[in-house]
Amino acid sequence: MAEQPQANPLREGLSTRAVPQPCAIVIFGATGDLTHRKLIPALYNLAADGELPPAVAGVGFARRPKTDDEFRKELAETTRKFSRQPVRDEIWQTFAESIFYHQSEFQDESGYSSLVKRLTELDRKHGTRGNRLYYLAVAPEQFAPILKNLKAAHLNTPQSDSWARVIIEKPFGRDLPSARKLNRIVREVFSEDQTYRIDHFLGKETAQNILVLRFANAIFEPIWNTRYIDHVQITAAETLGVEGRAGYYETAGALRDMVQNHMLQLLCLVAMEPPTDLSADSIRDEKVKVVRSLRRYSLETTRQFVVRGHYTAGAINGEPVVAYREEKNVDPNSQTETYVALRALVDNWRWSEVPFYIRVGKRLPKSGTEISVHFKRAPMVLFNRESTAPDQNVLVIRIQPDEGISLRMMAKIPGTSLRIEPVKMDFHYGTSFGKPSPEAYERLLLDAMSGDPTLFARRDEVEEAWAFIDTIENAWAQKQNAPPLCFYPAGSWGPDEADELLARDGRAWRRF
Amino acid sequence: MATETYSVGIPIKISRIDRELKKLWADGEGTMTRASQINLVVYSEEAGSLARNTQSVAEITENRACRAIVIAADPSAENDRLEAWISAHCHVSQSGSKQVCSEQISFLLEGSSTKFLSSILFSQLDSDLPLYLWWQANFAEQMDPQLWAWVDRLIYDSQPWRDFDQQMQLIEKARRTSKQRMVLCDLNWTRLVHYRLAFAQFFDHPSSHHHFGKIESVSLDHDPTCRSTALLFIGWLAAQLGWELTESDQAGSISLRNSAGKPLQVQLQERPGSPIGAFTARSNGVDFSVAVASCGDLLQVSRRAGGERNGYQLLPMGENTLVRLVSEELMRGGPHHVYLAALQKIRPLL
Repeated sequence: MAEQPQANPLREGLSTRAVPQPCAIVIFGATGDLTHRKLIPALYNLAADGELPPAVAGVGFARRPKTDDEFRKELAETTRKFSRQPVRDEIWQTFAESIFYHQSEFQDESGYSSLVKRLTELDRKHGTRGNRLYYLAVAPEQFAPILKNLKAAHLNTPQSDSWARVIIEKPFGRDLPSARKLNRIVREVFSEDQTYRIDHFLGKETAQNILVLRFANAIFEPIWNTRYIDHVQITAAETLGVEGRAGYYETAGALRDMVQNHMLQLLCLVAMEPPTDLSADSIRDEKVKVVRSLRRYSLETTRQFVVRGHYTAGAINGEPVVAYREEKNVDPNSQTETYVALRALVDNWRWSEVPFYIRVGKRLPKSGTEISVHFKRAPMVLFNRESTAPDQNVLVIRIQPDEGISLRMMAKIPGTSLRIEPVKMDFHYGTSFGKPSPEAYERLLLDAMSGDPTLFARRDEVEEAWAFIDTIENAWAQKQNAPPLCFYPAGSWGPDEADELLARDGRAWRRF
Repeated sequence: MATETYSVGIPIKISRIDRELKKLWADGEGTMTRASQINLVVYSEEAGSLARNTQSVAEITENRACRAIVIAADPSAENDRLEAWISAHCHVSQSGSKQVCSEQISFLLEGSSTKFLSSILFSQLDSDLPLYLWWQANFAEQMDPQLWAWVDRLIYDSQPWRDFDQQMQLIEKARRTSKQRMVLCDLNWTRLVHYRLAFAQFFDHPSSHHHFGKIESVSLDHDPTCRSTALLFIGWLAAQLGWELTESDQAGSISLRNSAGKPLQVQLQERPGSPIGAFTARSNGVDFSVAVASCGDLLQVSRRAGGERNGYQLLPMGENTLVRLVSEELMRGGPHHVYLAALQKIRPLL
């Protein structure tokens, strides 16, 4: 890896983040959805905001025959559609001049030899200085041939004073053995500090704000533990179904698709200890300790504490929707879970016996991702003697949409009698800051170019997460006595069994 | 950008401001969300400033929710006058689901009423929020020291100042009164943000750092009204790269010495148009250029060596309107030591 660049004195006071160096970004799977919807619009927005150095070139690598101009034309169209800010012709023109198309099969070695020539040419003409960022926006089965060929063409080894990095899109395997195998394949070609495993949830402004909320505000940390926190809920709800991803979703399911990565990442940010500093490894060290501390499930505890659901026909926003098993390309007898609710325990001093309830699901009534921290009830011997038990203080961190933070607390109802009711103190990013946040991919691409892996998953983090998830998957895969698949109508908040999961503990899911 | 015309709102008695504000929000309950992050006080002594600044506040609050206190003062008026108005600036939030509103309290102070400035301000500040004071007038000798003790950020524009040194001395006195905690936000410096970013990016790669010691000349075109802006830019280069001023003449030629003692020459040229029209730094046969692009609202940056241009890019230029400059300042925040260092370098020329 190239050494950390010396500070540019002219940047003092202008920018607090590391500035990316010139580089060539090679996108494998350049004709795919991710490239068109996310990656190129993100790069365009970075260029339009002046966050990219001029010497950044993009090379799309894909199978279909296409010229540079055809590729640029297609990207112009989709970027206009998906860009966060309107596309300006002048900026697009300059930006597009640095985008190229390289046609090759992923398995074809000669395609990589010609890529070497192309990149060398770009170094000369565009000043990309031998720096390479490879983005694998392809299905996991393509990782091995691409990586193998990159190595064969020596594209993984940077020349002196330059760097080569690889960004890998999820899923990072489908279980621990496959994740280990994948990591082994990657490690044979790129060292860990060259490898950036992307989880776009971590690029979201609010996810990053969890650390600021916790560690820059003195009021939270002293009560952020088992003494004061009753439980934590993390919800990721989607109104959408599989939307053309049935092929992948059938083999993954909600647990692998959402819980193993996004949900556990959020759990880590909530539960981690303060890092010694803000370096990538200090933060990731603390996160990995949390995953390691997650209590593993047995067959029995999976049955007890994990609910897997599957939606049947129903309605979303008054529109009828079909059952999962009736979706296109879905097995009519599919056992794939579209909903998961689980109760996790973090076995460490801070979180002893504090349950973390996670629920994710498709075809739920609302879309959104939120974390709610439920504090223990105050000893309300003084108030409301005649009414039901008073409510808890709840701190809600809204990840998406309408990012923000709210705190529910108790207040006296005006009047001569002493009655209290919960009220909500609410902070909305969109209300306080009119400026829109950059898209997660913008932040993450910039970080990868700058060599900052803080918001990317490390190998041990991924493997530990799979070790935890595998205990559930193994229980579900039992031929006999496997925990049942529960059903819920589309447009409901999931199966009854998920409500019972909390009801058994004397709790309920937060009203979303 | 707001295109509507906003009024200063409902006239009210000063003693009823709190009550009337509550009523204003109560009337809009359910449809409006009141938001405030800072107290933004706008002070002007220009005729007609109340309407103009109300418009400015409406635009600023689109990006930064605040309690705005707009003051139009005329200390030289013969008769005393003290009037107040309240209003709200509402914008649909990003999610489109709710109206986000900032409140504005406006005051007209004339004659001896202007002496009450501090007391009026103190009673109207939203508690616990920082105070940003946008001072649009000249700084006067007689300023209430209590006021400065409360100000967190002082926003002003040094570009139209006729006597830079005198004004700066008054600001420095105010800073001393505030025990150095007040951050100085000169919009003339903010005007340079995008030019500084455009120039700085040439040197992000360590391999280009050797040019710092080899810059032999800088040429800079500026609008005739923006000589101080241009000098601040040169001051910034001098402060960050360790240059020392040796001499200057009225024709815009400035001689400096770099950190190794080598001479370098700066040539300023007046050219009507953008505050900074173009500048080029030459180092070892390489020209690093930043210029306003033909579209007028972007900067084109390029590096030219041996007649061959490379690294061409278009970058944001930012708008040179006071509203946009203040908005930029409010979003960026941060300390001001680089500004002070730049100022120090070119103070004798201002």
